Amino acid sequence: MGGVDVGEGGGKKRATNSDINMIPFIDLLFVTIAFLLITAVWTTNSRLNADAQVPGPPDPNKELTPQTPEKVLNLHIGDNEFSLVWKSGATVVSEIKVPKNPVEIGGDTKIVRYPDLAKKIEEEWKTQGGHRDPTDRKLDQCILFSDNRTPFKEIVAVLDALYSPKREMKFADGSSKKLPVFNMTFSVR
Amino acid sequence: MDRFQRKHHDPHAHVIHAPHSRLMSHVPLKFVWNKVSGHGRKSPNAGLNLVSFIDFLMVTVIFLLMSFSASGEMTVDKNVKLPKAENVEDIIDAPVVAVNGNQILVDGTLAGSTRSIEELGRMQKIDELFALLKNKRELWKQLQPNKPFPGVCILQVDQNVPALVVKSVFQTAAFAGYPNVSFMVGKIPSASPQ
Repeated sequence: MGGVDVGEGGGKKRATNSDINMIPFIDLLFVTIAFLLITAVWTTNSRLNADAQVPGPPDPNKELTPQTPEKVLNLHIGDNEFSLVWKSGATVVSEIKVPKNPVEIGGDTKIVRYPDLAKKIEEEWKTQGGHRDPTDRKLDQCILFSDNRTPFKEIVAVLDALYSPKREMKFADGSSKKLPVFNMTFSVR
Repeated sequence: MDRFQRKHHDPHAHVIHAPHSRLMSHVPLKFVWNKVSGHGRKSPNAGLNLVSFIDFLMVTVIFLLMSFSASGEMTVDKNVKLPKAENVEDIIDAPVVAVNGNQILVDGTLAGSTRSIEELGRMQKIDELFALLKNKRELWKQLQPNKPFPGVCILQVDQNVPALVVKSVFQTAAFAGYPNVSFMVGKIPSASPQ
């Protein structure tokens, strides 16, 4: 089969031409393809981050100084609208309402998205967000308020809108990465 | 049939020949060759060029090897239908809490009932889930005493589970020492380039 012709050996010498048998080689390739196809993963999953905002123990070496509370975005999921409320401690800094305009995408299984909410959240962060510098490694906080009966897919649709605005963040090693501007936690009532 | 004529050995001849059909070229018997080559008529045997075939197999093998994941993908509970999202991050290795319409499972072990939380109608700490996650955390700390505990767990929640159950599981995970909770979702391709 495959081989290199270097001419005949001449005389009674052993022939210098030798054929490489390609059948085991092709068999090996087929077996490798079969194994890789069987073990291949065709659907990949991803994740949406959340943070329970559990405070760590205080550092005994540091002196505690009273600080003004950071501005936090409170996102309320209502029946017909969303409320975006910026609060600093108990003080309401600003409040806007965004009507619920769900956009369905996808084929057989419909996926609900809220592009208007995503746009409004980005606008709000650009005017009110406290961590916008690329060297700032903290994220702005968002507290999600939802009814107990709200299905999880609705929460994911809102989280997807919340995580759509992104900003550049620079790390100590000089590298940079685009990350969502908000970190989310649930309200506990 | 010049293939049976005696060749003169020329040491200066080109040693590498142009590719051509190789099948049947090494049949050494003249009467067999005559038979298979059709006795002067059009040969019933077609020469098969294996080069392009092997090239194709090699490209397939290389593609599959590059997309192969030795660590394997995280398995999804068959009763859980994950919601989909666009602005997502890559999955990480962490304990998985699966929540479907009836049960709560930690890495396949039963850790609570979804129905009982729904029937109670208020947020609660799920004791079995808390105990299982706490054991996992203590085991991790025993195995890696010099490393800080990352406190990350992944919630694999069915898309129709109510927020009450999600919040209860979320809060229980935080109580058990896992404050960094991630929700597993299916990925939908991004519409605009990032």
